[in-house]
Amino acid sequence: MSAIVTVLAEVPPGLRSVPLLVEPELGHYPEFTRFFAIRFGLDDDPFGPPAVVAVDGRAYELTFLGRSGRPFPSGLEIAALVVDLEPLDVEAADRDLYTLVCWILDGVGPPWSAEAFARTADIFRIPARPND
Amino acid sequence: MSPRTIADLGPDIAGRYPYRSRFLGVNGWQMHYIDEGPPDATPVLLLHGNPTWGYLWRDTMPPLLAAGYRVVVPDQIGLGLSERPHIASAHSLDNHAANLVALVDALDLDAAVLVCHDWGGPTGLAALLSRPARFAAVAVMSTWAWVEPSADFHHRMVPWRTMHAPVAGPYLLGRQAAMPGRGVYLSTVDRDRYEATGRAAYEAVTATADQRRLTWQWPRWIPLSLPSDLATERFRRLEAGVAGLRLPATVIWGREDDVFTIDAVAPRWHQLWPHAEGLHTVTGRHFLQEDSGAEIGELLVDFADRAVRSR
Repeated sequence: MSAIVTVLAEVPPGLRSVPLLVEPELGHYPEFTRFFAIRFGLDDDPFGPPAVVAVDGRAYELTFLGRSGRPFPSGLEIAALVVDLEPLDVEAADRDLYTLVCWILDGVGPPWSAEAFARTADIFRIPARPND
Repeated sequence: MSPRTIADLGPDIAGRYPYRSRFLGVNGWQMHYIDEGPPDATPVLLLHGNPTWGYLWRDTMPPLLAAGYRVVVPDQIGLGLSERPHIASAHSLDNHAANLVALVDALDLDAAVLVCHDWGGPTGLAALLSRPARFAAVAVMSTWAWVEPSADFHHRMVPWRTMHAPVAGPYLLGRQAAMPGRGVYLSTVDRDRYEATGRAAYEAVTATADQRRLTWQWPRWIPLSLPSDLATERFRRLEAGVAGLRLPATVIWGREDDVFTIDAVAPRWHQLWPHAEGLHTVTGRHFLQEDSGAEIGELLVDFADRAVRSR
């Protein structure tokens, strides 16, 4: 699948952050740490605001976590940015997370790939995977 | 709030696992366990792995109880009805092993038969090495205790490494609940039976992403000869200790196991323990208790009768 993820320059106003997923150990495979550090310029500015990406018009906040003794970022929080007090569309968020994970895996590069992720999601019949 | 008990899971599950829930503080966490049979009888400690809980042993227990054994079945911290720590460092191999040490100390188990499946192997055997006087025999099934699992499964990108990769792991196994439902289903032989008698009990105790945390965190502790391996040295020490054990031992395996494959992994136990009984084979994939729980119980009774009671 072709993941369509756009990195936004700034956070759209009037949105609230809804936590979706926490990854405390990006460095389990260090190439994931390096992907985020390079893609979002974290080596130069580790203490900036969260990154924001958009998937299919919906915005998601990426907050990078640090831990003593580990390369930065050691972890990642992904949150949906939802308008005002409107309820989160959970199904859309799960579909967007699927796209976001594909984007990350392709960004990290071999041996990781969105294709391997899609095959794994098929094996486990993940509800949020795209329809064939 | 009171912790959930087996009875709280409803009559279907409690009917198949009709035992009293007990709780014990281990290293600051609340561990759920059952303790059935005569208190002064030879104890048999049944240890599950990922992503199951004590319910895995439901068909194995009755033969052991009928034979007069005391049967102790904990839920490893992070799974089943035990507490689920959210902090990653709670789930190191050493911490899980130490939780079992605390259990066997608190229950004052003596001359116990240790029965290990999956992560019950590395954790239970580490506990045994820490408290050798408390154990008299050991049985292993679909598990390992050396630096790398000998089978190819754990090196494959699909599904194994991808399913618990950074971000992908908490998504697939956490938010999307790939295990235990579908994951265990794929590792059983009689899948209709699993759907009828197993799946609901595993999903009932892993209903939220938070409750499924260990299902994606534990796989990361399996060494794969990668620079980021978390436990290579720990497994090296474990293997050295396990290789020195000369307790009566038996090896039981599922013929259809495609995770810890019978041809690649099971023989390694006999290399470590030339004196071990077996190989006893039963119908089963990785979760062989789902297909052959009662047969495994009979094998354990036969083994324990000869290895422990006859001494």
